[in-house]
Amino acid sequence: MMKRLAALFLVTFAATPMLAAKPEDLGDLIPKGFNPPTLAELEKQVKWVDRDVVDSLKLLRERQADEKPAGTVAQALAAKNVSPQANKAILSVLGRLPANEKTDVDWDAEWKRHINFDVKSTNPVLFSSVSESDVNGLTGFGLFSFDWNFNAFASSDTVKSWQSSEDHLYDKVVIRDDLVWSDGTPITAHDVEFSFKLIMTESVPVPAVRSGTDKLKYVKAYDDHTLVYFHQESLATNDWNVNFPVIPRHIYERTWAADPSLATSDEHIKYEKDPVSGGPYKIASRSIGSEIVLTRREEYYMHEGKQVRDKPYFKTIRFKVIQEPGVAFLALKGGDIDDLILTPQQWRTQTTDDDFYKNCTKVYDTEWVSFHFLWNCQNPMFADKRTRWAMTYAFDHEEMLRKLRYSLDPPANGIFHPASPWAPPSSATYIKRDLDKAEELLDAAGWKDSDGDGIRDKVVDGKKIKFDFGILCASRQDRIDICNLLKQNLKEVGIEVTVRPLDFAVLQQKLLEHSFEASFGGWGTGTDPDTSENIWGTNQERNYGFYSNPEVDKLFAAGRKEFDKEKRRAIYQKIHTLIAEDQPYTWLFYQNAYYGFNKSMRGYVFSPRGPYHYSPGSGSLWKPVMK
Amino acid sequence: MVSYLIRRLLLAALTLLLVTFVVYALIRNMPGTPLTLDLATADPSKRISKQEEERLKRTYGLDKPWYIGYFVWLRKVAPPNFDLGYSMFEKEPVSRSIAKRLGPTLLLSGTSLFLAYVLSVPLGLYFSGRSGRWEERTLSLGMYMLYSLPSFVAALMLLTLFYQKLGGTDWELPLQGMYSSNFSELSSWGQLVDIGRHLILPLACLTYGGLAYDSRFIKANMEEALRQDYVRTARAKGAGYWRIVVVHAFRNTLIPFVTLLGLSLPALLSGAVILEGIFGWPGMGQLFFSSIGRRDYDAIMGLTLMFTTLTLLGQLLADILYAFVDPRVTYR
Repeated sequence: MMKRLAALFLVTFAATPMLAAKPEDLGDLIPKGFNPPTLAELEKQVKWVDRDVVDSLKLLRERQADEKPAGTVAQALAAKNVSPQANKAILSVLGRLPANEKTDVDWDAEWKRHINFDVKSTNPVLFSSVSESDVNGLTGFGLFSFDWNFNAFASSDTVKSWQSSEDHLYDKVVIRDDLVWSDGTPITAHDVEFSFKLIMTESVPVPAVRSGTDKLKYVKAYDDHTLVYFHQESLATNDWNVNFPVIPRHIYERTWAADPSLATSDEHIKYEKDPVSGGPYKIASRSIGSEIVLTRREEYYMHEGKQVRDKPYFKTIRFKVIQEPGVAFLALKGGDIDDLILTPQQWRTQTTDDDFYKNCTKVYDTEWVSFHFLWNCQNPMFADKRTRWAMTYAFDHEEMLRKLRYSLDPPANGIFHPASPWAPPSSATYIKRDLDKAEELLDAAGWKDSDGDGIRDKVVDGKKIKFDFGILCASRQDRIDICNLLKQNLKEVGIEVTVRPLDFAVLQQKLLEHSFEASFGGWGTGTDPDTSENIWGTNQERNYGFYSNPEVDKLFAAGRKEFDKEKRRAIYQKIHTLIAEDQPYTWLFYQNAYYGFNKSMRGYVFSPRGPYHYSPGSGSLWKPVMK
Repeated sequence: MVSYLIRRLLLAALTLLLVTFVVYALIRNMPGTPLTLDLATADPSKRISKQEEERLKRTYGLDKPWYIGYFVWLRKVAPPNFDLGYSMFEKEPVSRSIAKRLGPTLLLSGTSLFLAYVLSVPLGLYFSGRSGRWEERTLSLGMYMLYSLPSFVAALMLLTLFYQKLGGTDWELPLQGMYSSNFSELSSWGQLVDIGRHLILPLACLTYGGLAYDSRFIKANMEEALRQDYVRTARAKGAGYWRIVVVHAFRNTLIPFVTLLGLSLPALLSGAVILEGIFGWPGMGQLFFSSIGRRDYDAIMGLTLMFTTLTLLGQLLADILYAFVDPRVTYR
């Protein structure tokens, strides 16, 4: 005992090593044994194919040139959004880019933008949450993006040319020579190579952006402007792997080794507060827990006295952190914030009167965020797909949509949204409640009420078990209500359910450990269907319910390697069909994007990821000159 | 007195060790780690892989068992280091996070406690003086109603009135935070007024409950004291009514009142979790609450250490004050 105590003492009180790294550790996670060829050697062996370099604002302008606004701005501002037609009309008018930038736009305007949570870090390499991607999307420097149809492109704001090799193993990018960091240092290809290496350094605690980047073999800057990305494999998903955040080499090369956490040294704390940005905005001030103020960077759009890029529409963007939903709603009505995500309940009950329409209007559009009941396929109750189907048939989808989603959200029935190219054309059939069918399936799967106590049971491995399970959900009333409806519905077919609302971290831990029987949850959409492999592939990270279908696994592997668009689409449509047949989830509904906007806001255009998280996204919003 | 103090301080140190050990054990054994939420909220195309998670656990020392983690933490905080550690979410040393919130917290809670005590004494005395009359009954009923009105409901009602309905008038009060966005451009007087305007609503919501409680507390104790023999004696020897109430009875209600005062010392810094959330007040309550949700171990431990120390100090202070308010109490 004494020995163990002494050992414990030694472990804890002996000098613990300082968390520092050696400069030569930079990039120690990059696959070893590869020496990038010289550019001349590469040019000799590779045949390049030109890829899209796009100005996303121009792309949107071209699209809107063909769309006719349904009325005048005055009409749209006076209208109440009471029907899908009214919604469409309001969006078609207020969701437009300015007709004349010189005369229409208030270039001194401020956008008071709502966020639920403060950002944890302003360093784009350390980003992991939605708030952080919102802020970094405006301050960060990037070469690649994607449009509302999830088409990947290189951004003409930063890139001169983008070429991929015919065999899809190399991407060559020439970046523009008129780019500077907010401290005045030029942005070069070396910053990109350095950022890649830093992200791929073991001692740097990169929470999220390493995934994808780790599929690259190497990134090499051949001069200040020419970059080549070397891929490990020839994959259709390579376009997404080249998209990682870029940070200034001239700062972090000097500082990272002394403090690989990028966060604790005095210097890193200073840059955390006042980061050097490469995007259209920079952080002007920040007060933790309450607001972050961004200002437009003159040197971003002006170079040597000439305008070289689109001038960002806002002079300042003030992110206001308001966690309490009731207060955030008051703030929208009072003009303290210009935008707010509304709940269906707020849409139906709190945003219909003149009090709301005095300063605000509201719009909605489809968003590919789906919600579901998740069944743990390793639990004897849900191992048989007949019982999973029985759950789906026993649940009253119609009542949920009508009462709990206020007849606003559309139903869901599978892994891909029916409007996405990845869902089969015939996927738009929805399950209606059918208790007879549910009972038939349960009987067939051997779940019968053998002892007459009103609850179905079955003998599994020599032991009689009752069909009695707990369903986990986040501790939010709208979610608890849906689980309670399931409880009521299943009681009618002899199944007992306990609803277990949990603190978010606890819920997440239980899911990661697979220690649950059923759970209520939701997923947003990735930009490529391959990103859902980690939900459906055997033993993958987000496959909390142990779903496994070898054919699905094979198809995901094949989908990544298929370059023919039509063939690739057919693969994911097949995956959609197979998983729907297996019914590891009972799919419930898609949650539309419901937004309240101040009447001074214009230019909101929605994508399947909402109005901001694509390109141009938040870059298309503006405020008009008040006449 | 000195030997008593030494004994008490040693006992306090032991209690401190025990409390921090138990809290550390609890938070480390609660489901979820600081990484859990990262795993949940990232972009679907940027997920943390299992291998990455293991690597992050090693970096943050979460791969070691919790009891070793406790000693590692203890070594950091113990003299001569006095290092409260690093908050993973605030991205700064815990001591700095706490220091930053000290001012706002003290301003809100300190003013509130002060107001509650200063106003509750005359109110309590008034209640006991007028006990049973209609005006006391009415006021007491009002106090009971206030005491049972949840402060977050009152907060939203007050905000609707003063921020929204009275918006644009002289009576408008700000919605959130401690300063306006143009704070730095204001004159010193303007800055003071600005903070004052931000303070009114959270202060009102935080104080009314305490005021109701404290004044009822004083009244109950006063009634008890007024029934005592020495009060009858005082009355018999012809002392005036208010002299009896203030000098004879009130002094004897001070002992439980001092206990209450001692117990409220930690409340001075612990902040008000819900109200700080609603009013966006950058105080300690919000920090503590969000640290627990995010499993920010160092921040939770730093705050626990501070609150425990304050509770122990508060009790010690109350015990010493007893000797002043009650001549029968002495310490050897």
